[in-house]
Amino acid sequence: MSDTSIKTSASARNGVRADLAIGIVFLACAIAAPFVIDSKYLIGQLIVGLFWAAIAVQWNLLFGYAGVFSLAQMALFAVGGYGTAMTATYLGFNIWVAILSGAVAATIFSMLVGLACLRLQGVYVALLTFAISNVVYLLIVTDTACYEMIGTTCRQFTGGPSGFSRFGDFGMRPLLRGDWVKGNYAIVLAGFVLTLVSSWVIIRSPMGLAFKALRDNQGYAIARGINRFHTQLLVFGISAFFTGLTGGLYAAHFQAIGPSVFSMSTLLFIMAIAVVGGTGTFWGPVLGTIVLMVADELMRDAGQFRTLGLGLLITVFVVLLPRGIVGRLSDFLATLQTRRNASRQGD
Amino acid sequence: MDIIIAILVTGLTNGALYALATLGLSLVWGSMGMLNMAHGSMLALGGYMVFTMAVGIGLPVWTGFIAAAAAGAIFGGLLYFCVVRPLLKSGGPGFETSVMIATVGISIALENALLLSYGGQPLSQPFAVAGSVNLGAGVMPWLNVTIVLVALLVMAVMGFLISKTKMGRAIRATALNRDAALLMGVPVEWTYLQVLGLAGALAGICGVLLSAVTQLSPTLGADPMLKAFIMCVVAGLGNLPGAVISAFGLALIEAAVQFGLGARWGFPVLLMLVIAILIWRPNGLFGRAQIRRM
Repeated sequence: MSDTSIKTSASARNGVRADLAIGIVFLACAIAAPFVIDSKYLIGQLIVGLFWAAIAVQWNLLFGYAGVFSLAQMALFAVGGYGTAMTATYLGFNIWVAILSGAVAATIFSMLVGLACLRLQGVYVALLTFAISNVVYLLIVTDTACYEMIGTTCRQFTGGPSGFSRFGDFGMRPLLRGDWVKGNYAIVLAGFVLTLVSSWVIIRSPMGLAFKALRDNQGYAIARGINRFHTQLLVFGISAFFTGLTGGLYAAHFQAIGPSVFSMSTLLFIMAIAVVGGTGTFWGPVLGTIVLMVADELMRDAGQFRTLGLGLLITVFVVLLPRGIVGRLSDFLATLQTRRNASRQGD
Repeated sequence: MDIIIAILVTGLTNGALYALATLGLSLVWGSMGMLNMAHGSMLALGGYMVFTMAVGIGLPVWTGFIAAAAAGAIFGGLLYFCVVRPLLKSGGPGFETSVMIATVGISIALENALLLSYGGQPLSQPFAVAGSVNLGAGVMPWLNVTIVLVALLVMAVMGFLISKTKMGRAIRATALNRDAALLMGVPVEWTYLQVLGLAGALAGICGVLLSAVTQLSPTLGADPMLKAFIMCVVAGLGNLPGAVISAFGLALIEAAVQFGLGARWGFPVLLMLVIAILIWRPNGLFGRAQIRRM
């Protein structure tokens, strides 16, 4: 899992250049997509892909770089979405303010979870975060107390099993009419780029070095004066903010949010994206999303075998390609580089 | 008075079921540092095996127990050869998390396979014990008594296997120190295979008992597995007697909360308690602080 953290300044500069080049190509493709693609369904799928990629990028920051194995990522996403829906419904917030407050709610929630869980290590963190997100889900689904009446139906404070809907959208319909999906696409893409850039900055910053140091050799990192609890709490909060933001965008795009976002299969899909692409590699989650979304579309024909295939796919990737596609690719490139250097020295 | 009896009956039955589920998890964790996320779906596999034997083929119900244990053990073996061994070979420091993600994948696949072959409708379990005994104020169904007795029997057998046999000695030696055991001539790979097989058999039997109180569905193991995880954590991962004690203790508390505050608060209260315990003792109630080499 450990990537080549310690680089010489020259290769670090190369890394920046490579990231910039890949980023520009990716952005160019993403911007060109709505002009080339006409089908509303495909644009919709692209938007969904951007949501999953954004969560996977944040989970990768948390797990791949900081070594915190949290399974509460979908719960944070849900808190962001629910925060948006609830502030828009009950307090009448403008949708943009509501999305921001959803992200803040997710950050606060993550701080509470982190205070309880991050004193522990490794799988203990995984189990507790998993249990907490399950409890939140159960409490929402089993909520039956009436909070207010809408017409003849009663709505629970948390929305109950049916969740929230019709609390506002991005306002693209009157603006772009038939092309409103493309407007939404632009907004979601902007959100995703924000998420991606911020995680890049964090990984490259001294803070990112501290994350990686803790992941690679905890004892040594602590001996060098890095506070494990504070650092991990910080990365937990940052990742929660952007995950919550993505949740808010999700709620605003679909104009609905329900307890189904907590489901194990969604969490699994996010983990699969990160694992297939390569955890601890920057472009892994992005590539993983592309691979899995395409595989998912292809397996749509297989219908009922889709989930089965997805489960097996994850296992096969973990067993055969533990560092994912990007990890394997960069290993391969590194070998090429050393060989070329060796042959040059031979001349 | 009748409430106390109801709490005791529910708590002890659930405790026995959780203890069996916890035992399998704890055994695997303790000896090989592997968190088996597929344990819940292996419970479901056991439950469906009884259904196949008794309803599908028409054999007596007790053969279902054997089939469930065998299916669980075989699945555990498959898990070893397809996932654990390659990961141990290639692995290193990442084993703990990668095996967890891999078994999550396996679990989803197995649950889905069960869904495809048996359908999503909840089926009723052929293993049942009719009647109940009156205890003054409350009633105690014979089914619950049977479940507790079978669970205790299985635990006793497990205790014997672990503490008295050569296989058990090898398992304990591997759990204490893998490298030292290897140097002393313990066939560690064979021991791992045995551990996964044993845990699978435990899961199969537990699944049969579990589906007798609930219904058969592909996801029947998810909820007990989650609680079993929590009980393992409270006891300190890998501590077998501690796991059994905390399973019974937490099940009784859960039942009391469910009767007192309503069913939906059972799990949240349990979790709060567990978090409090872990803040107080980060290695679990019965766990000892480990010195980890970096």
